[in-house]
Amino acid sequence: MSLHFEVFSGGSVTIDHDICATCETKACVPACQQPSLGSVLEIGENGLPALTVTPEQAKRGACIECLACDLACRARGAGGLRFVLPMPELDEILAARAG
Amino acid sequence: MARLAEFAAKRLVRAAGIAVPKGELASTADEAVRAAEAIGFPVALKAQILAGKRGLAGGIRFATNAEEVRCEAAALLGATIHGREVTQLLVEQRASIERELYVGVMSDPGRRAPAMIVSTEGGMAIDEAAGGQGSTTLGSTTLAIGAIDVLAGAPPYWCLDLIGALDLPGATLAALANVMARLYKIYRQYDCALVEINPLAITPKGLLALDARIALDDDALFRHPELGVARSQEVSDRPPTKLELAAALIDEHDHRGSAHFVQIDPDGSLAREQGKVSIGFDGVGTGVSMAVMDELVPLGFLPMNFCDTSGNPTASKLYRATRIILSQPGIEGYVFASCLASQQLDNTARGIIKAFLEIFPDGQPDIPCVLSFRGAWDETALAMMEEHGIAGSPNVRLLGRDSTEGDVARSFAELHRAWREKRA
Repeated sequence: MSLHFEVFSGGSVTIDHDICATCETKACVPACQQPSLGSVLEIGENGLPALTVTPEQAKRGACIECLACDLACRARGAGGLRFVLPMPELDEILAARAG
Repeated sequence: MARLAEFAAKRLVRAAGIAVPKGELASTADEAVRAAEAIGFPVALKAQILAGKRGLAGGIRFATNAEEVRCEAAALLGATIHGREVTQLLVEQRASIERELYVGVMSDPGRRAPAMIVSTEGGMAIDEAAGGQGSTTLGSTTLAIGAIDVLAGAPPYWCLDLIGALDLPGATLAALANVMARLYKIYRQYDCALVEINPLAITPKGLLALDARIALDDDALFRHPELGVARSQEVSDRPPTKLELAAALIDEHDHRGSAHFVQIDPDGSLAREQGKVSIGFDGVGTGVSMAVMDELVPLGFLPMNFCDTSGNPTASKLYRATRIILSQPGIEGYVFASCLASQQLDNTARGIIKAFLEIFPDGQPDIPCVLSFRGAWDETALAMMEEHGIAGSPNVRLLGRDSTEGDVARSFAELHRAWREKRA
């Protein structure tokens, strides 16, 4: 099971709940607590990270792409969150350079 | 500003109802000959490069028969003019010119409005007459400038009123007012920063736009896919590099802050020529960027790029901008400097950290990096650099709000020296 939503700039967040179930900190959730802006992540009824908004709202900009969840998960979580921000044009340049 | 090539600009001018000479594009000498024969001799062969003063550099030739066309086209195609290779020619009917005028509409920040500029001294004479930096040798009978009320537009009667004192015959004034009104329509329709006809020739058959220059507002490019203009920012008179095109996508549909990336020295040749070291650069604000670059250059470093990530951009924007900057081949370092910014530097830092973590093993860069966080949430930004292990890298130096632009440059120079010694 996983939670997946897209973000405004073109990218997505995927939270692997199987990994989250082993995570003691759920560090992504408090990291998302932005006092002035509210947060889009909370601990859901199943004890795992959940969205406070709809995926459509998250994509329209409710997720402000601060990357706090990503870095918190890397530093203090279990590594179940992936914040992917694609750059296909740059990847093509790098691939061409690599031959 | 994204510029259109002459032939593309003239297409818009012609569509607006302003007369232009008959012309066709040619990519080979054979095509040029065929175009000239279809148009009729004599013809002008004009190199299609995004650079000014082509004529003086030999980029415009004339021919009176097919053999001359072949000869001149062969000489121009493949030639390098102002550092740009000529790959296309505009083969155009040569006009019989009685007099050359200048007419242009440009965004004028001083007037906070579009400005209409008309001069009876067109062609290359306008450059000589406009003595630079706002001074001019032109008088009221040769130059007319007016701010356009964007709500009222520039109808022909307004244009006629503006140019009434110019030393031109009445019939020419009426025709000129008509051209001005149409030119303003192009300016508005295509969200331009500049629309210019120079020269606008007075010919026996009436007014004829011999050259046209159109520059578009980069932030409005997405509205005009029909123009097929490459997305780029502030690259002026050369085609955008692949990295600039990739970077332009960052801001394309996302206006939460900005990430303006321009390559100053894309292939590092200027740095090599000057005996300097190429580095990647990012600044929060243009002012601090210029100040830090001014400090870096005398110490032997030349930023390969300029980048301004300001206006409180998202962390994702910083991530993408940092990846672009660090992908430049041959850089021997990276400098990030913020001014005393009101933007959330913790967001800024997160974007940089994510890029570092994905580019360098454990986020530990293999090139010297100086990051200066000065402004809102700067202490949080520095703490995050610690938390993610970037601060502990021997190739990283972090500076806080007590540092100056000079400190940033000197810290980088020290770090770079140590890095070089270690590699030697």
